[in-house]
Amino acid sequence: MAGSDWRDRYGTEGGGPRPASLGVMARVFSEDGLGKWALYAPTVFVILFFIVPTALTVVWSFFERTMFWMEPGFTLFSYVNFFTSARFENFLFSMLHSSVSVVVSFVVGFPIAVFVRRHVPTVAQHRVILLFILPFMVSEIIRTFMLRPVLGRNGLVNTFLTDLGVISEPITQILFTPTGVIIGEVLSFLPFIVFSGFLAMEAVPKYIFEVCQDLGASRWRTFWDIIVPLAAPGIFAGSVFIFVNGIGVALIPSILGGPGAVNAGLIATQAIIALDIPLAMAVSAIMMVTLFGLLAIGHRLFNLTKILEPQA
Amino acid sequence: MNETKDIAIEVVGLSKSYGPVRALRSVDIAIGRNEYFVLLGPSGGGKTTLLRMIGGFTKPTAGRILLHGVDVAHLPPDKRPTCMVFQSYALFPHMTVAGNVGYGLKLKGMSKAEIQVRLDAVLEMVGLNGYQARMPWELSGGQQQRVQLARALVLEPEILLLDEPLAALDEQLRKDMCIWLKHLQERVGITFIHVTHNQEEAMSVADRIALIADGELVECGDARQVYRTPARRFTASFMGESNLLDGTVAEVSGDGTVTVDVGIARVAVPSADATAGIQAAVSVRSEAMRLIPRDQAQGADEQALDAIYQEEIYLGLMTRQIMALPNGQTISVRSVSDDDEAPAFQAGDAVRVVWKTAAGRLHLS
Repeated sequence: MAGSDWRDRYGTEGGGPRPASLGVMARVFSEDGLGKWALYAPTVFVILFFIVPTALTVVWSFFERTMFWMEPGFTLFSYVNFFTSARFENFLFSMLHSSVSVVVSFVVGFPIAVFVRRHVPTVAQHRVILLFILPFMVSEIIRTFMLRPVLGRNGLVNTFLTDLGVISEPITQILFTPTGVIIGEVLSFLPFIVFSGFLAMEAVPKYIFEVCQDLGASRWRTFWDIIVPLAAPGIFAGSVFIFVNGIGVALIPSILGGPGAVNAGLIATQAIIALDIPLAMAVSAIMMVTLFGLLAIGHRLFNLTKILEPQA
Repeated sequence: MNETKDIAIEVVGLSKSYGPVRALRSVDIAIGRNEYFVLLGPSGGGKTTLLRMIGGFTKPTAGRILLHGVDVAHLPPDKRPTCMVFQSYALFPHMTVAGNVGYGLKLKGMSKAEIQVRLDAVLEMVGLNGYQARMPWELSGGQQQRVQLARALVLEPEILLLDEPLAALDEQLRKDMCIWLKHLQERVGITFIHVTHNQEEAMSVADRIALIADGELVECGDARQVYRTPARRFTASFMGESNLLDGTVAEVSGDGTVTVDVGIARVAVPSADATAGIQAAVSVRSEAMRLIPRDQAQGADEQALDAIYQEEIYLGLMTRQIMALPNGQTISVRSVSDDDEAPAFQAGDAVRVVWKTAAGRLHLS
């Protein structure tokens, strides 16, 4: 900065003193001023808010538990605790339930995305997709809680089915079971598969449908042979998002799930409530490893960087 | 041979409306077997709509489409003896060349060995042998279009539909591909229907050309005939570069010529039949005209118009000279460049535009 000060003061550039405002702005955003550091802002952000917390989570998961907090050390106690208790079983079940949510969301949500891409006029497509954001205007807690009077013993679904005469006894196997959690997850995460499916369909050119028609491919063949492979990176990204949320979001199982429907997020939350911080960290670390593992597999299969590239 | 047997496609009274917009109005065309037929016309004129209806991608509002005498209006694209080559490089981006070309055969449940045999044969035909394992993005535009052709031809269609197949290619490649396409059609010996807005492309491949504009069939004939003796005023304005003079028929003489009053003068054109007093237009191709100084007289078999010289545009092989008629209309004359004998004019010079009477064409519609 000292270098540009004398230039300003004596006006050696351009023969006269530059206007003060311009001088300051130019200095701040010049190559050798702040502008140079602006490029590093994202790096700093990632280090501060992603790498450091991740590393701390892993480090803390090996700490010793004390009465209210933890103390530095190295012990596998938390991991042993996790893998040898019912928590591990619950974790595996939550992965299963999450996978079911992914499949159901895909089956329900992806056709919506395909339909919007194929049959809605291009100008209206984004507006139609934006409609799926509307549920997010309502707090997730309220949205999830509202399912209780719908799915419960004397809830909307049961009353409706009883009145229709389809069932004589109310179904009690929905609320406070994994089924209830899956329904909650699908309703919560469906918009994401619609969004990601919509973006994924950008990789499927419109002419493809006519080519398939001309070659005599049935809708089914067109879907499996052409659309799914082309949209795979986007579908995968959406599925990973739902899957990870399914095992990580504590809210849904704590409102809709019973004792048998506990996911990793809820395990970690419960560990924190029990003041077992290292265990909570261990659960989080295991979730992160799961996520990175999935992303690594996905990247191997589909080259996930492709979904961020503009389509020709 | 029975005449109907020689017709591959017969389109009768075919119309297509999109709401109030009439994309195609009652078009009748008969396309012969093994013919290279071109649908030419300006963008939005309805030629692609016509092609898509023949292919089964668009349902007609009215009319019939007969392929080899069978009405196919109700059949989907894959049940018709047609195959389409699309304008964009419409390949499956995630499949190799072999995957793309073989996909149609795979859908038909053909064995791998048989697919392989057909695949090699068709790739040989389009000159892409050895490209089986390439991905579409590794190919040039021309190669991608040849893969599309292979994908269509491998299904052995009786009629191949080409929707602006060369539109995305650069000029030089387009010219090469035109000749290549023409030779390909001669080798495979099936009917090609080719849609283009490019006149040169149309002329270089076509056995016959149908000019389509504003949803109507304007004129149909072989390339030479459409270029040299267009019947309609629109054809004259679209094909090549013609000067058009609008007026009314003034006099019908017995010697096979008609005199047309074009406002600033009267010109004679050869014509078999016309009635005095009706609206008419005279067209003369710009390369059939030449310039002489105002004080020089035209030949006995020539027509002339007084004009004021404006400017010259050098186009390489040709030079275009632009003149203004007394009524303000511009006249364009093209001649081979660097012709030393051509007189040089300055802007503002009084000149005469002359042409052989036989080169004039009369258009009553």
